[in-house]
Amino acid sequence: MAKLKSGKIFASGLWKENPIFRQILGICSALAVTNLLINTLIMGLSLIFVVTMSNVTVSALRNITPTRIRMMVQTLIIASYVIIVDVFLKAYLPDISEALGPYVGLIITNCIIMGRCEAFARNNTLWPSFVDGVASGCGYAFVLLTIAFFRELMGFGTLFGMDVMPGGWTNWIIMVMPPGAFFMLAAFIWVARSLPPREEEEAGVKR
Amino acid sequence: MIKKRLFSVIYMFLLTFFFTAIVSGIHEINKERIAINEEIKLQKIVLNVLGIQVGPGTLDVRIRQIFGERVKRETGEGRIIYRGFAEDGNTLIGYAIPLFGPGFWGPIYGVMAVDPKLEKVIGIAFYRHSETPGLGGRITEEWFEEQFKGRKLFTPGEDQRYFSFLPPGTAKADNEVDAITGATGTSKAVERLIDRNLKDYLPWIAEERAEGRI
Repeated sequence: MAKLKSGKIFASGLWKENPIFRQILGICSALAVTNLLINTLIMGLSLIFVVTMSNVTVSALRNITPTRIRMMVQTLIIASYVIIVDVFLKAYLPDISEALGPYVGLIITNCIIMGRCEAFARNNTLWPSFVDGVASGCGYAFVLLTIAFFRELMGFGTLFGMDVMPGGWTNWIIMVMPPGAFFMLAAFIWVARSLPPREEEEAGVKR
Repeated sequence: MIKKRLFSVIYMFLLTFFFTAIVSGIHEINKERIAINEEIKLQKIVLNVLGIQVGPGTLDVRIRQIFGERVKRETGEGRIIYRGFAEDGNTLIGYAIPLFGPGFWGPIYGVMAVDPKLEKVIGIAFYRHSETPGLGGRITEEWFEEQFKGRKLFTPGEDQRYFSFLPPGTAKADNEVDAITGATGTSKAVERLIDRNLKDYLPWIAEERAEGRI
């Protein structure tokens, strides 16, 4: 495997191969928790932690894990880290744990994590795996925070719980309900894919 | 071949043991904290249904303080009940009854407060469940819980229930409430568990009151 530069790995996870708008992974939680910025932030940080730690662990064990059972091992590792996050939230941030509810546990099923373990961590050394994990996690968090920014702003008139909209603003309740999430996500994907540099690249590939 | 398979089994076993040990350890360390959080949550719910106002930003220590001053927990014959008092600490304002029963997906936990004469409902709240978010999970929404406030409690006849859940918009009588559209299973389960818990607790409370015990 050619040695990939950290910067490239990071840029890839964050934008070029962004898990949400490029690979369309992790959509479930992207839709569910983004009606409030604070919940989204905690969700994003939790996922960054889990994907990074899982990547590092899978990478560390890559040479001794028998290929046949690698998925069981990955699932075990991912589940362990998610439970650790869950315990931490229940103990130190109970209100947010309450608000996130089942979605913390669902991080285990988030395709991004197993996707990175399978596609990257099991074939790469520790440091690149670490960077890849952080990058994918940040890519996910960045998309979620953007969506949450608009959903909370227009749906509740607040940002991180603080009133920011002028007095005459009527809340667009639909923004904090599921349809609003779908619309925002679609809008994000549309904008992200319309940006010029990517189109040039695709044109280059086609030739 | 067998060596490979054997290695896989032993490896998996050891790895599972290792990770489970770490996760269990972290859980053990934080167990007390989590238990305290659960306790505060329950105290908040009990205060809420009894109509004792607690502002949204209230600190946990303050909640424990208010709970200690205004609520007394009584047990008897396997039942737990919370007695709520007015600010003077002496006038009884209501009884908070625990609600528990199977929901559509998993157990549902809640609390219902009734006035001292057992004539009407002061409040209801559900605090733990595994129902579908957005459907059965709406039992924790304000509109669902608000509709019980002030309802008269009629002792149901044979084969009748304390409250009946009907399609939204069709509920007329005092003992009829709106079910949740799209959550028939949860609505029916909640109807049953409220009925069962009330039938279990109300006669007992009446008895204990008659004997001046609570």
